[in-house]
Amino acid sequence: MLQGMSLLTPSSRQSAFAHALRGAGDAVGLPAIMICFSLVGIGGLARDVGYPMLAGMLSSALMWAGPAQVLLFGSIASGTALPVAAVAILFSSLRFMPMTISIMPLINEPKRPLWQLLLAAHLISITNWVEGMRRLPREPHPVRYAYFCGFGLVVLGSGTLATGAGYFLVAALPAVLAAALLFTTPMFFSVNLLGAVHRWIDALPIVLALLLTPLATALLGRDYDLVAAGLLGGSIAYGIDRIRRGRSL
Amino acid sequence: MEISLAALQQATGSFWPYLVVILFGFLPTEIWRVLGVLIGKGLNEHSEVFIWVRMVAAGLVTAVVAKLLLSPQGALISVPLWGRAGAVLIGLLVMFAMKRSIVLGLIAGETALIAAGLLGGGT
Repeated sequence: MLQGMSLLTPSSRQSAFAHALRGAGDAVGLPAIMICFSLVGIGGLARDVGYPMLAGMLSSALMWAGPAQVLLFGSIASGTALPVAAVAILFSSLRFMPMTISIMPLINEPKRPLWQLLLAAHLISITNWVEGMRRLPREPHPVRYAYFCGFGLVVLGSGTLATGAGYFLVAALPAVLAAALLFTTPMFFSVNLLGAVHRWIDALPIVLALLLTPLATALLGRDYDLVAAGLLGGSIAYGIDRIRRGRSL
Repeated sequence: MEISLAALQQATGSFWPYLVVILFGFLPTEIWRVLGVLIGKGLNEHSEVFIWVRMVAAGLVTAVVAKLLLSPQGALISVPLWGRAGAVLIGLLVMFAMKRSIVLGLIAGETALIAAGLLGGGT
């Protein structure tokens, strides 16, 4: 802790805290509400398999990956062997590597200790990644790390608490409202992803992956479709971008 | 493997659920974030590799969202595909029309979905 802080002068340490607080404040509102909608259902899944509430909350705080948590509790419910479930979770979570790589240049600085980067990386989820890619470029470089940590921690904390609350909320919602609740996650990401697009080239990986996903599901099945569609959509978009910039493939 | 896991479950008793979450949930997700830090911390923002990785990340995130819409689970199945796709389109149109307001886009999309659910006989 002290070693990490020592690279900051007393005044900049104070301002780092202020920027973390500002990030935390910006997360209160839509991002925090959205993550609650996304993860409230996880609590119910944990209860359905007979796990304690805190194990459900731990899955949100540690895994911090809604689809992977659905996979884990779904596997336990269906009696799938746990090592098999872990391999499926491993494949379904590959996106975190390129997501983390793309956040790194935004928040990394010379001398920033590794543990601080690992801490920030743990906060990366779809919500924090989308918001980070949108908000961080507007911040001056030295304050981005503090801002991202403040923002991300509030979103992670909200999601973890919502998982605990969901444990006790019985599925008594009318079907249409339950559907609307499940719809908030894809709707929120759709407006957020495309709302951040200002050049057509940035929309290209999104549009390509959207078109490729049903094709990949039909051809490859439910296990590898996400990775294939994302990898292929992003790579084709990159190829087109290269040609556009006048570079050879 | 199965036998030793059963023994571990016996030995850990009420801590078993937490161990499952850490071993079979936390480790296989966190490893990608750790790898991302190790690879990404030395990478130049303007390098070709970085531009490619950023586009692949956008593609992978989109694929997750697309799958939630195209092959949904739970109550969302009750809304037909045209209702789900139409609601996303309406939400996006309102978002762009209203100076990229995420809140208004979200509200418009949600309203459209509930309307589609009621019209589609989803209940």
